[in-house]
Amino acid sequence: MSSHRQNRAGLLERLIFNNRPVVILLCLLATLFLAWQASQIRPSTSFEKMIPLEHPYIQNMIEYRDDLANLGNTVRIAVAVKQGDIFNAQYMETLRQIHDEVFYINGVDRSALKSLWSPSVRWTEVTEEGFDGGEVIPQSYDGSRASLDELRSNILKSGQVGRLVANDFRSSIVDVPLLEVFADPEDQSRLLNLDYREFSHALEEKIRDKYQAQDPNVEIHIVGFAKKVGDLIDGLVAVVMFFGVAFLITMVLLYLFTHCSRSTAAVLITTLIAVIWQLGLMNLAGFGIDPYSMLVPFLIFAIGISHGVQKINGIAQQSSGTDSPLTAARLTFRQLFLPGMIAILADAVGFITLLIIDIGVIHELAIGASIGVAVIVFTNLILLPVAISYLGISKRAVQLSKQYAASNHPFWRLLSNFANPVVAPISVVLALVVAIGAFWYQKENLQIGDLDQGAPELRPDSRYNQDNDYIIRHYSTSSDVLVVMVKTGAEGCSAHQTLSAIDELMWKMDNTPGVQSAVSLVSVSKQVIKGMNEGSLKWETLSRNQDVLNSSIARAEGLYNNACSLAPVLIFLEDHKAATLKRVTAEVEAFAAQYNRDGLEFLLASGNAGIEAATNEVIASSELTILILVYLCVAGMCLITFRSIAATICIVLPLILTSILGNALMAFLGIGMKVATLPVIALGVGIGVDYGIYIYSRLESFLRAGLPLQEAYYETLKSTGKAVLFTGLCLAVGVATWMFSAIKFQADMGLMLTFMFIVNMFGALWLLPALARFLISPQRLAGKEGGSLFAH
Amino acid sequence: MSEPKRRTQAGSCGYSPRRPTVSSFLSLRSVLALCGILAGLPLAAIPAQAQDDVVQYSIESPKAVQGLVLDIAHAGKRLVAVGERGHILYSDDSGRNWIQARVPTRQLLTAVTFVDEQYGWAVGHDALILATQDGGATWVQQFEDRERESPLLDIWFRDRQYGLAVGAYGALLETRNGGRSWDDVSDRLDNEDGQHLNGIAAVKNAGLVIVGEMGALFRSADWGQSWERLESPYEGTLFGALGTARNDTLLIYGLRGNLYRSADFGDTWRAVSLRSAAGELVFGLNGGTLQGDGTLVLVGHGGSVLSSVDDGRSFTVFNRPDRQSLSSVADDSAGRLVLVGQGGIHATGLTAEQIADRPVAGTPAAKQQ
Repeated sequence: MSSHRQNRAGLLERLIFNNRPVVILLCLLATLFLAWQASQIRPSTSFEKMIPLEHPYIQNMIEYRDDLANLGNTVRIAVAVKQGDIFNAQYMETLRQIHDEVFYINGVDRSALKSLWSPSVRWTEVTEEGFDGGEVIPQSYDGSRASLDELRSNILKSGQVGRLVANDFRSSIVDVPLLEVFADPEDQSRLLNLDYREFSHALEEKIRDKYQAQDPNVEIHIVGFAKKVGDLIDGLVAVVMFFGVAFLITMVLLYLFTHCSRSTAAVLITTLIAVIWQLGLMNLAGFGIDPYSMLVPFLIFAIGISHGVQKINGIAQQSSGTDSPLTAARLTFRQLFLPGMIAILADAVGFITLLIIDIGVIHELAIGASIGVAVIVFTNLILLPVAISYLGISKRAVQLSKQYAASNHPFWRLLSNFANPVVAPISVVLALVVAIGAFWYQKENLQIGDLDQGAPELRPDSRYNQDNDYIIRHYSTSSDVLVVMVKTGAEGCSAHQTLSAIDELMWKMDNTPGVQSAVSLVSVSKQVIKGMNEGSLKWETLSRNQDVLNSSIARAEGLYNNACSLAPVLIFLEDHKAATLKRVTAEVEAFAAQYNRDGLEFLLASGNAGIEAATNEVIASSELTILILVYLCVAGMCLITFRSIAATICIVLPLILTSILGNALMAFLGIGMKVATLPVIALGVGIGVDYGIYIYSRLESFLRAGLPLQEAYYETLKSTGKAVLFTGLCLAVGVATWMFSAIKFQADMGLMLTFMFIVNMFGALWLLPALARFLISPQRLAGKEGGSLFAH
Repeated sequence: MSEPKRRTQAGSCGYSPRRPTVSSFLSLRSVLALCGILAGLPLAAIPAQAQDDVVQYSIESPKAVQGLVLDIAHAGKRLVAVGERGHILYSDDSGRNWIQARVPTRQLLTAVTFVDEQYGWAVGHDALILATQDGGATWVQQFEDRERESPLLDIWFRDRQYGLAVGAYGALLETRNGGRSWDDVSDRLDNEDGQHLNGIAAVKNAGLVIVGEMGALFRSADWGQSWERLESPYEGTLFGALGTARNDTLLIYGLRGNLYRSADFGDTWRAVSLRSAAGELVFGLNGGTLQGDGTLVLVGHGGSVLSSVDDGRSFTVFNRPDRQSLSSVADDSAGRLVLVGQGGIHATGLTAEQIADRPVAGTPAAKQQ
């Protein structure tokens, strides 16, 4: 008997099962090595990976990044009073202490640090003799009523209301420019990179917590890219906890399914090994953990568990026929290795299509996930059966499996009616109506891009977004900035022709709905020319005199580069909705088409809104491609596997229904199509097709055995229905925990993936048999040795 | 240092921009087209190349009402206001709704005046002079001189024929034919240093006064033909002058709340003290108007609005809470003030008396001394 089995065994099976200790040893060594690698993996928050580098906007931004230095990377700390206004001695003292404390935080560009206490913050006044001016906080400041009154009048003359001082005089800002690379304070010869997380924590501990406790009348609001990234990294760390939760829930589910602690442990451990290998390989490949790729371990865990369950299910069924765990494991390996491989290939195909989205984090997500599923082939398709061949399955589990096979199942019997000739047409019509309705709804309502106010990465009610909201409401500023780069020849930025064209652009922008205001060196030039003419409003315009223009922009720091060949125009927007971005960028492009000439070019785009505009364009153009590609691949896989167009349609149509419903759900919940949600389509379809493959392969084999459709479907449900249900649950549990992430897009991804996995499962259970009623002819299949890969 | 260069086609055909542009518009285009063909240039390149030379009309936009507006005047009952980017706006309902006029420039316009319901003129940067004959709805360019690199700052007309414009670096231009031709008559003024001339005003039954940079002060008893330099009561810059309802009486005003009154056409002056609730006014004064009932209203920086019911001997001072700088003021048919300046046109709906009676805003309007 044993030799008979040996003969039928394939080369791979013999290789593995004849060398079981070697397999285990190799896996152990690999695990040790990769666990060491995985422990080295670090959060990576590279800004470049989150943006579409190939988009022309971004290419322009990168080309001129050095010329635009310090436009972006500042943190703004608003120190607000709870009672009264800022003109009191205690507030000013707290502000001074905060200013000094910030000065010593690593990474702060100390020379450019700005608050009311900076000597560089000055007031000016036109007098008969010319300009008069001084520091806003005079040298003689002593906290007395008189000096506070002087401070008040200086602030009014300084033009800082709405910038450093809130419009309502109840808060003022400490403006903190940052250095990405700075000299180590301990050893000046060494350069350090700015650690966003450390910096963000320093702000929380040394500034917010300390001074809110010290002065109960102040409230501190902090915004800026560095703070946002710091909060994001903190959010990532919290996600690790979710992994624990998902692990525990899965463990309970797994035990309920197997009734066997040994196999539960075996599945959990081999799947954990898969996760460790995946993380270790990611580190070996030079990738870090970013907010997107950190979701891959969850997916791998869920996929690994579901394949493990198939194995255990198979081994339990085989064990009823033999006493030897080794034989059961070998039989199961023989039976399930191929369908397992096919399912994993389908997953990988789903991930690989993501590579066409030209955004680094998505590439890493795709590569990481592909590595992960490849790893599952080793851990869950090879190592797990080998491990079980030693451990065996508990007698009780085998007993239950036997009973299950023998007994009648009213629930499956009921579900088998989906293949009923009366129910099937109703199902198909219903599905069609739902699909058309949902398609129309999502077409009308689904939007591209981020739709919420504030930083879209974080939840609308997060601390950061509340701070952001405070600053937008109390200062003449917006957090959504689109930067147009005006490129000229060297020394060309101050030419009248350049400046007047910029002026035209700014006015056009002022008149574009969605634009709050625009700022450039023209704004400065006009103000300075006015100032040079004793503040007379009648001179608030560009001069035709080049000397006047040159001196007028001398103080417009940061609004032109050293060579005077590039000048940014900062356009402040009301929001970053896709429609707003599209309208504004379209206006700028139309303007550029009209005004660009030799030596004067208007280039889009930088600023957070510019990046989002580019990202939205990439998303909008990739969406359809991804959909077509992923469905082509999945359909191709099905066609190869089953060699039947009818089977392919039976499997793919339910997936399409789910995709449409997913889009409609996004439209309903106000989630936009964005970097985080676009991969969901590919992941949902790629993983969702597993159900169809499992169900159809069993259904086909029962049809070949000559059963009528409904009966064949009942048998299918009886043998794999439980495993399919369990797989859906496992996958959903794995991703559902993300919904509680502090990071908004992780939560959105979690919600959408959970929806996709569950609905795909129901779609396969409900629609597949109904479609089979119309497309598959049991008579033609009966008794035939089909061309399907699963034909035994 | 580069002089602003005129764009010419392929170096072959130039054109003089000093000609009245409206009449040269069509011929200019055909000349340019001809040049293009002669130079073997593709025709498509012409519009872009000629961009600076083709008349650029001001852009109509809803935001024009909120842009910088510098002067406002009556054309009969109609209000007409001028400002940045060639914006000219007019209102026939006391400033509630504004219509943007068609204006052949995008330059900053600094002043506007009307002699009756139809005839009016506006001046601006590039030494622009624009004229209208339909109460401000459409405008033509009468004069431009970009090479001056300086603006005209104020304009006065006696009737449909005779008028004077003043501007930076001592510019004084005269027309005797309603603006068909303008002559530079700057040398009529004793102004060796070429000080800016900021304002020109008529004084009842006396003559004209021009004020300017560093206390520059001139008068003409023969309405423009000969001018006499006066001893100025103030060393700092004067931004404007305003004749009152009385013979020989006028106000001159300038930097830092300096305001002087003369009842003898400038022979003697008295400083008018300006105090708001918070103290002495330190904001510069930019413009003013004499209302039909003799009330005088002046406006300036820091949202300052001043009104006098005693022919300018004393003023009450109010600072608008938005503190935006004001440039000029007019009253509508019911005496309600329409202010212009930063932030555009502010139709207050309040008369000078009501404005004066309003409590001063919480933030101090002036520096305490």
